[in-house]
Amino acid sequence: MWLVLCDRNDAAGVWIHSALRSRGLAPLGLVTGEDLAFCDGWEHRVGRSGATIRFRLESGLTIRGEDLRGVVNRLYTAPIPQWRSARKVDREYVQQELLAFHMSWLHALRCPVLNRPTPQGLCGQWRPESEWVWLAQKAGLQTPRYRQSTRDRIDEASGQRRLLPPGALVRTAIVVEGIATGERIPPAVAEGCRRLWRLAGSAFLGIDFAEGAAGPWTFAGATPVPDLRLGGELLAATVLARLTAPAAST
Amino acid sequence: MILLCGIPSEPPLVLVAGALEQLGAPYVLLNQRRFADTAMAFEIADATLTGWMEIDGEGYPLQAIEAVYTRLMDFRMLPELRDVPETSEPWQHCSALHDVLTRWSEICPARVVNRVASMGSNSSKPYQAQLIRRHGFEVPDTLVTGDPDRVLDFRARHGRIIYKSSSGIRSIVRPFEDEDVERLPAVRWCPTQFQEYIEGTDVRVHVVGKEVFPTRIESSATDYRYAQSEVGEAARLVPTELPDLVAESCVRMTEALGLAFAGIDLKLRPDGRVYCFEVNPCPGFSYYEANTGQPIAMAVARHLAGRTQ
Repeated sequence: MWLVLCDRNDAAGVWIHSALRSRGLAPLGLVTGEDLAFCDGWEHRVGRSGATIRFRLESGLTIRGEDLRGVVNRLYTAPIPQWRSARKVDREYVQQELLAFHMSWLHALRCPVLNRPTPQGLCGQWRPESEWVWLAQKAGLQTPRYRQSTRDRIDEASGQRRLLPPGALVRTAIVVEGIATGERIPPAVAEGCRRLWRLAGSAFLGIDFAEGAAGPWTFAGATPVPDLRLGGELLAATVLARLTAPAAST
Repeated sequence: MILLCGIPSEPPLVLVAGALEQLGAPYVLLNQRRFADTAMAFEIADATLTGWMEIDGEGYPLQAIEAVYTRLMDFRMLPELRDVPETSEPWQHCSALHDVLTRWSEICPARVVNRVASMGSNSSKPYQAQLIRRHGFEVPDTLVTGDPDRVLDFRARHGRIIYKSSSGIRSIVRPFEDEDVERLPAVRWCPTQFQEYIEGTDVRVHVVGKEVFPTRIESSATDYRYAQSEVGEAARLVPTELPDLVAESCVRMTEALGLAFAGIDLKLRPDGRVYCFEVNPCPGFSYYEANTGQPIAMAVARHLAGRTQ
């Protein structure tokens, strides 16, 4: 079977699940982070013979790693609703334990996993804007000047961004399998997007552009969890091909 | 110029600073506790990374920093920030300083011991165990489960088992005893990591670049770091040697994880099998150096100074 893993409020995750199902991918499950919080029978083994995973959803369906043929992974956190009333220090501990656990079993899957977990993110490597700018320059994209100092009071955790002025018009390219999808992207920019995708090392990469000092396609940020809906039909078809390719692994 | 970051009285930092002085290698110390007297900025423009750092009124161009050794503690735990609100200027400045320092050190061309991204594998021990296996080491049979019956089956199969955290938090190894069975249903609340107990000799291997410092640990405690409280007697640490193949595997694994310096926990079985439990990317090596005289700090200093053997 195939799985789409995402947050309960992830509209793009629900969209790709629907798009893949309408293209005949079956059996295909949609499992949210909240669903995982209420799974039981977790059994993850690591040892001489490799690594395995087995768990049972609240519906009673048992998932075995060896039965999975492909996963779209957009999990970026591990919800712990059952720990809501615990002490903060215990909640933080459990959160770290679950992140460590989910990273391990997702890494152990032998089927294609788009995106594979990394220590910097359950669904691919999160990077600060400075690192994205550094990589985007290497990829040959037009980038703005990036400056950061101890005088700054920008809170990225609350959505503030250094590269994107408030209200700026953003255009987004989604790269999957080396194919740049999204709005009409000039060929030179698309080539830069592909180079950045290779440097980033994740299956999905969303790349934002805005009008800036370096021109109308000035790099404005990137994410391993893009809004897949922007990639439309081409993206859905590419993901389907990747998940069903014979003996594929990512 | 070499940049040392952390608290100056912390033993590993003391030892590395001392070794750099012996080498005559110039260094500057960023004292975490004196964050209020430290400022830093960097800029990326035209494919170039430049910047400036000011410590106690003295300025340094970041382009002149050739190497960085970080022993930073979680800044939120600094005594200077106790009872200080997160919205206050001191807290905000301290947070901004650590953010600037980390971001710059992740992309700067200096020799960084170690970059944050490379240290990440240690945040999930079962994940890291999968990486360790690729380098030819044995890893203990491990079960992470939320099912008490699976734990009892696992114990029946292996006899002696231990439990420990999956993440890097509260990472103390404890034996699973009969009295633990009663509270086993608690694992339903959070999948918990259990491992077969491996008999053998504990060896901590510090790897610095291609240099290897193996230390044999003699103790009857399950977690020798806590031997004094666990068995009433501190562990005895002795310099030892490793078979060439094992030493080479330690070096290769450290390099593959993107680390310049690591502390690797091995268990050597009497039958010759070598188990690896963990690769620590920020080893507190001073405990081993103080007990054995192994020149680990000097190796780190040579690496930082670009004078590797």
